Amino acid sequence: MSGILDIVYAEYNYWIYVTLMMIGFYAMIAKKNLIKKVIGANIFQTAIFLFYVSLADVTGGTAPILVGGHGAEHAADVIYTNPVPHCLILTAIVVSVSTTAVALALIIRIYQEYGSIEEDVILAARRELKPEFSEHARQKGVAEVGRQ
Amino acid sequence: MKTLALFVVVITGAMLIYAGQDLPAFGDINSPSYQAPMTQYFIENSLEESGVTNIVTALLANYRSYDTLGETAVIFTAGMAVMLLLRRRET
Repeated sequence: MSGILDIVYAEYNYWIYVTLMMIGFYAMIAKKNLIKKVIGANIFQTAIFLFYVSLADVTGGTAPILVGGHGAEHAADVIYTNPVPHCLILTAIVVSVSTTAVALALIIRIYQEYGSIEEDVILAARRELKPEFSEHARQKGVAEVGRQ
Repeated sequence: MKTLALFVVVITGAMLIYAGQDLPAFGDINSPSYQAPMTQYFIENSLEESGVTNIVTALLANYRSYDTLGETAVIFTAGMAVMLLLRRRET
């Protein structure tokens, strides 16, 4: 029994991140609303960030900022957490923000074009190719009629 | 559709948890990533080589500065894409 508890205590953090990641994955697959899909992608990414940062953790370790600063002597017995995953995740956060910005801009354009951010409505409009679903196409058509 | 999505999600989560059994324990000081020579090298030598007490800053701006340069290219590309998508069009 204590063996099982040891395993749970050693690896419960991974289970939390798998749960978070699967919540985001489910939102990306099952939700029809495009904004909710983006939110799901963000939850997914955040789970991966937390996973990497927890891989970097060391029990009893302090943040990877040198104790004593620029002083001549450094305490040799200080344990620092692993700085390499932190650095990797800083880069990943920047990429995450960039992809979110582009996705939201694309959703705004889709809304301007179709008047909806629901996936099935957009797909139905695409299938029927009715001009009234497309604000842009309608304005262009009106302009052409006016010119004639 | 939702049932199928839930099925896929549960299967993927079970596979991830099964694969995660081989990962090092939480906070383990003997994990391979912490005991790697590269990590120990950065912790010991980053102050002499870059003059920054924050090791993450030394990694990001000194050892991996080309990566950070590429990161700014990513932000620039995303900003240009958002500008091109959202600018007002002449109808």
